[in-house]
Amino acid sequence: MKPERSILPQHTITYVFLTLLGLFVVFPMLIAVSQSFMTNQEVNRWPPQIIPVEPTLQAIHSVLTQQDLRLDLWLRNSLIAATGYTAAVLVLCAPAAFAFARLRFPGNNILFGFLLVTIMIPSQVTLIPNYLLMRDLQWLDTFNALVFPGAANVFGVFLLRQFFIQVPSDLEEAAVLDGAGYFGRFWHVILPLSRNALTALGIFVFLFHYNDLFWPFIVTNSLETRTLPVGLAILNSSYAGQYRPMVLSGAVLSSIPILIVYIIFQRQIIQGITLTGMGGR
Amino acid sequence: MNSKSISGNGVKGRLTLTLKSRETLAAYAFLAPFMVFFSIFVVRAVVEAVRMSFYDWHILRPMRPYIGIDNYVELINDKVWWISLQNTVVFTALTVVGTTIVALAAAVAVTRPIKGQSFFRVLLYMPSLLSVGAVGLIWVWLLNTQFGIINYGLSFLGIRPVNWLGDPGLVIPSLSLTTIWWGFGFPMLIFIAGLQGIPEQLYEAARIDGGSNRDLFLYITLPLLRPTILFVTVTGVISHFQVYGQPFIMTTGGPGRSSYSLIFYLYQIAWTAFRMGYGAAVAVCIAVIMAVMTSVQFIVLSRRIEY
Repeated sequence: MKPERSILPQHTITYVFLTLLGLFVVFPMLIAVSQSFMTNQEVNRWPPQIIPVEPTLQAIHSVLTQQDLRLDLWLRNSLIAATGYTAAVLVLCAPAAFAFARLRFPGNNILFGFLLVTIMIPSQVTLIPNYLLMRDLQWLDTFNALVFPGAANVFGVFLLRQFFIQVPSDLEEAAVLDGAGYFGRFWHVILPLSRNALTALGIFVFLFHYNDLFWPFIVTNSLETRTLPVGLAILNSSYAGQYRPMVLSGAVLSSIPILIVYIIFQRQIIQGITLTGMGGR
Repeated sequence: MNSKSISGNGVKGRLTLTLKSRETLAAYAFLAPFMVFFSIFVVRAVVEAVRMSFYDWHILRPMRPYIGIDNYVELINDKVWWISLQNTVVFTALTVVGTTIVALAAAVAVTRPIKGQSFFRVLLYMPSLLSVGAVGLIWVWLLNTQFGIINYGLSFLGIRPVNWLGDPGLVIPSLSLTTIWWGFGFPMLIFIAGLQGIPEQLYEAARIDGGSNRDLFLYITLPLLRPTILFVTVTGVISHFQVYGQPFIMTTGGPGRSSYSLIFYLYQIAWTAFRMGYGAAVAVCIAVIMAVMTSVQFIVLSRRIEY
């Protein structure tokens, strides 16, 4: 039987701890929000102000209108690139995982073992050659450079294979009796039954890509093609000294979309992240 | 098609063989798109990186002479490489230990049968969704010596302003604190899943035997969570060893080179000094270090399956 949830005195310590931890988590974000509504003079003052005395939209207005800042474009680029990347990962990994999990062919185990070994090679070693390849293909500063180089994600194949293996084979056999070919088995049986795993992997790689800094930083170089993390780094280096509230409001504004998505889909996101973490063992 | 076995097995053999080879063909077709991308962007890139590391490959110079192991010799004598390695190791150790403790405590607290469980779960995972850019911008200001909120809070305890990001001895712990705040959500979720896998009857039996909450934690939770703790720490080591964004945004490696990380140094060599050959050697060495750590992970994690 499941114990009933309660707010009994025996849980006082738990509540105190969770409240403190909650404050530790929330306070930095709230301060950033609050100081986004301050003037530069108000932020650079001792003792620091927690609540703006005369809230102003000045910082938010300038971060959105400065010529050398394009928060809107950066957000759009991040979303397009992360979506494209996620789609590419799923399109490449799901069929490969299906072959490894459900089909018998010579070299299955050897090939899969080889892929597993390459998980141990960190992506940093591929950065320089892939950067030079992007340059030679003239893909620098394009979405291609943000989407394709990381799309052959071995972890994705590994994770999906784990789930595809668990699909009961009688379902597939029934489909074969109904005349389904290999593609039919993949498309109409395995994929619909693995929706959770596909969603989980999708959320995981989307968030990874959305927050990536290094690769987007080296393969983009014009204002219009930057992604959000890169743009924030630029915002910081050019405005932190002269107008701090702008930098803070940039951080806040850029975080709002993903936090809204998170609050709407909190359950799916938390389940998805947990599933990927557990599946990746 | 293999004609030898067809003649040996007759008609029935031929039929199964065609089915078999059809399955093989189908499998290769399903694998092909992935393998094409994998060959270009992983296999080719790794081979190319190793090859480049034996050349004096500067992006602005047309001549790229073969220089043998000179890049690796230079690396061994490169002070900045060793500083970066040391910084990275210290950062990784502090961050992994801190993250694991905070994540475990948080997971234990939110799996108690209390009201507001899911509220706290959702709340505590929130920072993990922010980009390193936003996290860096927020924390650089919190940690500011003159006007930062952290020093303000400490002033009530009579502590004089601390130069968190400007003091060579404090900058790595400060980046670590930032990273713990940012990243404890993921291990927390893994711990929650691990805790939910521990049968409730074990706790009930221990309580009947008079075990205190502390006993329950020490003698039931911790031992049964050991595989999860291993998983969290080992994956944490690998991910934090690749730290780059926090020093890049918050300190640009400073003061001096006190917060250079390995990946930050790789960036400096390849994309500000444009020394791609030497950068490739640095990348290969980072890769070897990480491959060793990952193998340890595989060994440690696969061992647990035995029991």
